[in-house]
This record gives sequence, structure tokens and C-alpha cells, in this order.
Amino acid sequence: MTANLEKDFTEVTFHGRGGQGAITASNLLCAFAFEEGYNDVLDIPKIGAERRGAPIQAFSKLSKEKEIKDFCAIKSADYTLVFDFTLLDIPSVATSLKGTVIINAPDFVDLDCIAHVKAIWLVDATNIAINNNLMISGYPILNTLMLGAYAKVTGQYTLETMKKVLNQRFGSRGEQNYIAAKEAFESVKKVRG
Amino acid sequence: MSEFEGKRLVKGNFAASYAARAANVQVVTAFPITPQTLVVEKISELVDSGKMNCEFVRMESEHSVMAGLIGASYAGARTFSATSGQGLLYMAEPVHWAAGTRLPIVMTIASRGIAPPWNIWADFSDIVTQRDSGWLMALLSGHQEIYDSVLMAYKISENPDVMLPYMLAYGGFILSHTSKPIHMPKQSLIDEFLPKIPKLGWDHVFLDPDRPIMHGNLIMPNTTPGYQEFRMKIQLAQLKAKPIIREVAKEFKETFGRDYGNGMVQEYKCKDAEFIMINCGILAKQMENVVDFMRSLGHKVGMLRLRTYRPFPTEDIIDAVKHAKIIGVVDRATAFGSPTGGPISSETMAALHNDPQTKDLRVIPFINGIGGRDVVTQQQKRQFEILMECYDKGELVKNEELMSTTYWTGAMGVK
Repeated sequence: MTANLEKDFTEVTFHGRGGQGAITASNLLCAFAFEEGYNDVLDIPKIGAERRGAPIQAFSKLSKEKEIKDFCAIKSADYTLVFDFTLLDIPSVATSLKGTVIINAPDFVDLDCIAHVKAIWLVDATNIAINNNLMISGYPILNTLMLGAYAKVTGQYTLETMKKVLNQRFGSRGEQNYIAAKEAFESVKKVRG
Repeated sequence: MSEFEGKRLVKGNFAASYAARAANVQVVTAFPITPQTLVVEKISELVDSGKMNCEFVRMESEHSVMAGLIGASYAGARTFSATSGQGLLYMAEPVHWAAGTRLPIVMTIASRGIAPPWNIWADFSDIVTQRDSGWLMALLSGHQEIYDSVLMAYKISENPDVMLPYMLAYGGFILSHTSKPIHMPKQSLIDEFLPKIPKLGWDHVFLDPDRPIMHGNLIMPNTTPGYQEFRMKIQLAQLKAKPIIREVAKEFKETFGRDYGNGMVQEYKCKDAEFIMINCGILAKQMENVVDFMRSLGHKVGMLRLRTYRPFPTEDIIDAVKHAKIIGVVDRATAFGSPTGGPISSETMAALHNDPQTKDLRVIPFINGIGGRDVVTQQQKRQFEILMECYDKGELVKNEELMSTTYWTGAMGVK
């Protein structure tokens, strides 16, 4: 979207590594917003030939009223979720961040490279995932946790909505995901902005 | 309410699968290929869990997929499959056979670029290779439209005056793998909308000892009626399909409330437009925003979405653009060696030339989004600006995207 074409929806960018669940997260975010009553939502996974561990991107667009007709990649997101703080070492990732950024990171991470963004929130999603046994093949799966943190930061959907969708989507593992997401919701904290 | 009714968030590919289910298809043959694979995977899952009642056959190649559908359709079954890019190329021989033998097969295509180099993203060049096979073809521009078009396709294809197979193409990844809410109607409404499948099979091919007929024989060139007449009949059926497509789109709107223009083309603010861009697929949908924006600046612009590609909507285009000062045509496909390099722009020029109302109308060709390259609204705005500049100057505006007489939006020049 461009500066002189009117924008009337929320744009969210996901930065993650293949296998962390960022692409599923962009889809789940749309499902939460849709369940919450948003009229139109769109998730755009930047997929092609991904590899586990490689940097990946996904996008979500959420509109309360108007139809989303714009399918291009997001250049200037309102919110960005960074699933792995080591991605900030990639200059093109760090410099592309704008708006509010939610990062999966421990407290001590160096954030000077993204001092230009509007606000920064941190959540230690990796540890929450490990403690809640949200693991696949030894990898912590972070999607629902990051979206729990996002719910707190934006207030766009409630924990109840998350619970409902997670139970529909993941059956018996829905509750486990929900408990971890709630923990992320409660522990995410603003560190700048 | 069942999981197949009401407003749901679905991927474009799943919209195709759910629509095939809603259309009560009886035979699906399948072979995986990115970005289509999810279509047949979902159908496999639905059949396995007892939620869809059809024969699902895993094949060893795309060639066999189409051969299998031809066999099933000969026997009178309603058939469905999906493919993409190289898969469609491999399938090419029986694709032509399906049209030649006049079977109402419906196939969705998650379109992707043709290799080499390998490409799996949105590009209609794959179906352009089958353009003249005799299949009906539509270029779709949304998740809901994928679902709705499968339903409409069976109604059009199975019409005794048409009896041609239908290809429904949508951009790989940009529609196949993104999710949007779609509305799935009540099954009873769909059942009422769709034609009944004839008990004995399709009129022209069903097998019955009391009605001996021959299938797929060699016919000598001078046998009459023979090969030439059969070919003429395919073209005649394509022409007869035009009013039927318009009629079905109208009936669809009346039944389900969703508007796809007249089925052939869909106008967006064309009525009083001086500058009209012809576009297709998701980029046409995105261009609606640009038309709104340009209008807010006082420019009288409009966009005509080419929805049906075969039969080519000659009359519909002429009717929609005849009052324009100049028009642009945007292709998301290549037709190498053609007058413009773009299939739709070349064909639009030919179509306009023979009508006294439009024979002097200047057509500016654009090609963009090749192999899934991003096209942002700012670039689409620039396409309109180039169109207006070309009109003002009376000649093509030189820039780095212009190669010969075509603007390759978003491309670096090549030497």
C-alpha cells in the first residue's frame, strides 16, 4: 500500500524461521479477527520453497468493514511479530520494521538496531513453549503464543475468542495452546515507546 | 449448520475443493503439483472421512489424470480435477482430447509460471498454452469467485448446446494459499441451481446396445461430415457458450446474490470513463482501489475485468470500451512472438479492429506480475498515468519499462 492511496485496514507482518509456525500464525490471526467480527481478513504466506530454519515472512490484513482488495506484500506494517530475535541481525529485516514490534526474546536482547520503531514489546515465547511442552520434533512452536502477546498489545480480540478458535482448530491440543497463549498474554511487556 | 455452509475462512485452493464437493462431483482423479496440491489433498481428506461421496483415484501423472477424467466422463459422471503449470503442459494431449470429444469436465488451475527457470507463482502463461484447445476458460479474481465459478462451470459445460470442458484459472499462491472469508450457500439451493446429471450419460456419447455408436475413430479427410465439421462444431459451441455464460451469471446473481458482471466481463466504473484499463485475475480486483483513487483526483478512469477468456468476449469488450479515448490491456502472461508479447492485449487489438466503433481505438499493452512478481497499487496507478500520457502526446511515452510497443511494469530493461 502506498502513502497516497488510502489505507483502511490493519497490516501485520510476521518474521520467523521455517518450522516456528509463523505462516500458521498469519492464518490464525485472521481466524481470530474473523471470529471477533472483522468483516474481511486476508493472510498472505510468502511461501514457495521454504526450508526449516531459513528466514520466512507472512502477512495478515484485517478489515473491520471494507473489502480487502489489495493483495500485495506489506511494506509498512502497523504491527510486526518477530519470532526469533536473531533475525534482527539481518539488516534488511531490522531496517524494514516500522510501527509496533513484538519480539520473542529474553530481557537482555540488544534492541539498538531497531531504535527507529514506534514501540517495542518483548515476550519470552520460546521458554513458555518449552515449559508448556508445545514442541514438534524438538522445536518450540510459537504461533499461538505470539498471538496471545498480540492480543494483549492490540486488544483486537479476546482470550475467549482465541480459546474458541484454538479448540475448533486443534481439538485436544487446543487447550494446551490456549494456556500457553494466555501466559504470553499476561507476560508480554512494553520496553520502548 | 454444517461445516460446508455459511461464512468461513478458507484458502483459495480449499474453496475449489469445497465447491467440487458442493457440486456433487462423482469422480476426481488426482496428481499433486504445487501450487494446486491442496485442492486434491482436501478432497482426498473429505472422501476419506466420509464427508464427500465420490470416487477418488490417485494417478501416476497429469496425463493419466485427464485420461481418467475422460473415461469417467464418457461414462456419464460429473468429474473434477486440478493442476498447475508444468502439470498442465504434461497433460496437454488429453486436454485437447477432452474438448474434441465434448466432455463437460471441470478443472481448476492454480496458475504458475512455466520453467525454466523454475517458477511456482502466479502467471497465466500455463493456461495460455491450452488457449486454443477448445476448453472454456475463466480467469478468477477472488476466493469467493473460485467457489462460485465451479458451480457455474458445471451448469455451463453440461448445457447440451455447449458440452465443452471448463478450465478455471486463478493465481498460484496469491489466491491458492491465501485465506479469505467466503460464503458457502445451503446445499439445497446449490442442488436446485445445478443441472441434473442425465441417468444414461451425456446425450452424444452414452453407450447403449440399442444405439450403436463409434468413439475416437480415424476419419478420412474427405469423409463428410467428418473431421472438419467436428472442428467447426467446437467453434460453434464456443460461440453458443457466450449467451449461456451470460445467462448463468445472471441466474447465479438472482439465486445467490453475487455479481460477476455479465459473466464474460465485469465493468468497474467504465460507463463514463475516458481511460479504460482491461485487466484480469487478482490484479484486476486490486486495481479497483486504484480506479477509486484516480477518480478522487478527478481522472475519468475505469477498469474492465476480463473474466471469460474462452470464448473471447469480443462483443462485451467493444461494448464496454467503445466510448473511451484510449485503452490499456494488462497481461499477467506471455505470448512470445505475438504482436505485443501479451496474449490478451494481442487478441484485444484484433477483436477491436474489425468493428467500426472501435477500429481506431488505440490500445496500449502492459505486461506485469510475471512469475508472481509483486505488483503494488502504486505501479498500477503509474499504468493509468502512462495511458493518459500516451493519449496526450499521441505516441508511446519512452521509459525503461517500454520494450518495443509494450510496457513491462516492474521490469528492469533488458539488452
